[in-house]
Amino acid sequence: MTYSSNPSRRDIGRGALAALIAAPALSLSGRGASAAEDIKLGFNGDLSASPSAQSGRAAVVGIQAAMEDLQKQGGVLGRNFALTIRDDLSQPPKSIQNMSDLIDNEKVAAVFGPTNSGNALAWRHIPNQKRIPVMGCIGSATDITKAMSAGSDNYMFRVGSVDRTQVVALMGYAKKSPNGKRIGFLTETTGYGQGGLKDLQEVAQAQGMNVVANEKFNVADTDMTSQLAKLKAAGVDTALVWAQGTPIGQLMRSMDKIGYFPVTLTSWAADNLSFINASGPALAEKPIFLRTVSEDRSPRQQALFDRIRPKLDADSAFSFAVHGYDCTLLLAKAMQQAGSTEGPKVRAALEDLKGTIEGYAKTYTRPFTTANHDALGAADQRWTCWRGGKLAAYRDDVIDALKSDDFKG
Amino acid sequence: MLATFLQALVSGLAIGGIYALIALGFSITFTTTKTLNFAQGEFIGVGAFLGVTVLYVLSSGSFSGHGLPQAASAGVNFPVAVIAVGAVMGVLGILLFITAVQPFAGKPGMSWIMSTIGFGTILQSFGLAIWGPAPVSVPSPFGDDVMRFGGVGVRPQEILVLVVAIVLMVGLDILMRRTRLGKAMRAVAHSPSVAALMGINVTAIMLGAFALSSLLAGVGGLLVAPISSASLFLGLGIALKAFSGAILGGLDNPRGCIFGGFMLGLLEAGVALWQAQWREIVIFLLIILVLAIFPNGLFGSRSLDKV
Repeated sequence: MTYSSNPSRRDIGRGALAALIAAPALSLSGRGASAAEDIKLGFNGDLSASPSAQSGRAAVVGIQAAMEDLQKQGGVLGRNFALTIRDDLSQPPKSIQNMSDLIDNEKVAAVFGPTNSGNALAWRHIPNQKRIPVMGCIGSATDITKAMSAGSDNYMFRVGSVDRTQVVALMGYAKKSPNGKRIGFLTETTGYGQGGLKDLQEVAQAQGMNVVANEKFNVADTDMTSQLAKLKAAGVDTALVWAQGTPIGQLMRSMDKIGYFPVTLTSWAADNLSFINASGPALAEKPIFLRTVSEDRSPRQQALFDRIRPKLDADSAFSFAVHGYDCTLLLAKAMQQAGSTEGPKVRAALEDLKGTIEGYAKTYTRPFTTANHDALGAADQRWTCWRGGKLAAYRDDVIDALKSDDFKG
Repeated sequence: MLATFLQALVSGLAIGGIYALIALGFSITFTTTKTLNFAQGEFIGVGAFLGVTVLYVLSSGSFSGHGLPQAASAGVNFPVAVIAVGAVMGVLGILLFITAVQPFAGKPGMSWIMSTIGFGTILQSFGLAIWGPAPVSVPSPFGDDVMRFGGVGVRPQEILVLVVAIVLMVGLDILMRRTRLGKAMRAVAHSPSVAALMGINVTAIMLGAFALSSLLAGVGGLLVAPISSASLFLGLGIALKAFSGAILGGLDNPRGCIFGGFMLGLLEAGVALWQAQWREIVIFLLIILVLAIFPNGLFGSRSLDKV
């Protein structure tokens, strides 16, 4: 990022003189020298439209905070980062267009985002073909960071939650729970919801769970009583829900309407303010979910929280800011290690990062490998719920009894 | 089992009421000007946020988290907000007609489609600049506790939506059929040139039609906000379904449009009882099938212009 103080009249005069002298050189080099010095990075994600837009905005805050800190430390390869932000309004066509624009026109060295998993799945072929690393920090669909075919180039990395990891843990909970005899799925019909459903089905099979109902709803639905009635009729005692914050909130309201409250295990989207806004504080206390940053913050996390909180929509958005921060940090280290901003070299460095890197989600030691492009794993998950209108750590006998063997799939 | 069907019926009627209200808005402009307001979705979202603003001001600027407190909708606040939203949206409807419809109405081509969509996009952009993109929770004037009738749960706002929608629709039906103004509107719908010869101010009637249609969209937005949260993006899906309902019932028949709106709401809830993911497919297949048999909708009488 570049900063400039208010110039005095004398500065402007000197600048004009310098510009006149340098004009022939500038016209040869095409662009201004200061612009060429910055390493251009892009953010492509929803900042305004979907129920998850709040997390997109938080990730940008985290990325910008990391850029400020890196600049104070002298930059990366002696240069500063400059961030170009594109809002995709959660629409896949717009997101695809943004991606091409950032890479082809803006000439960014790497891209952060997107907010919505479906959009990442819609355009991941573009950075893979153009060999530009993407650092995911919000969208959690499992397939985002998988190679598109065996042995193909994969430039998709992520510091954030992964649906598969969450599903494995939640299914482990359901299996261990004395109430988890008959489970049912409720998923939203977006790319995010359907990606989660695939994980739910595969993990249920791997863990030998009895799935007796599988229902879907639209992201904008306000009444899911018909779907819930079918779960109830099937005798579902534990519902696994994969959706964004607002529809999970509407689901809770529909449960309230028909007076049916199975044990509800949800995607981490329930940590979003949009969830509690839709459900209301009392119903928000029903589901259990996982997130990567606990509300019990370390002093180091607390310092970052205090610094960026005024720019966040809610306390609960902090985890996305942390992911954004750590993404930027790991990318910077990779560029430093590669001695270059060229995509293939940065990718190779990311897959073999040297030393330990102290981030805000955790301290990273070789966070990525060729086969694994996800920096946060099962050990980085935190059981969470809402209590009194705030996020809180969740703990019960089932969680205490969970062993690593319970997490399969 | 009976409770499940009744629950679907109640849910379908509640959402169908909103569809019917907006479908009626489509019908009113179509019958008088042969044009439609394709910005209806944006009018719904902006109407909801205008309501939020009025409620915020009336409750002395109180705001908790990302929503208004229960007290904001209490007493006369909500009815006042409905009236204020109706008035402002009515004026916006007149502005829409003057700037985006009148220059193109009656002329060859369908420029009014783009101009009304453009008006909506501008309106939404202004809305985003004023209120921002975040949804806002709006409390229902009658609270949020679920009311139960024989195993069927319903929220007070859903009943309010249904009652207000029915009252508005019956009122407009009486207006259209029993009053001089209504007769004038029907005369303009039948033939603007003949109506003008009879001394009817055709332009004024058309302005009124757009004001009324926009009023219905805005009030619909505010009514649905306590159910789904106020959002500038809330209206598109509702407007699409309402338009489908209007086409299904017959765009030139207000009563048919109301029927189409309710039918769509009930169909949604009914299909969800079977397979929710098939809902859109079933509904739109049915619409195509109905239109194949009744090209002007179930209750439409006039043949549409072909382009």
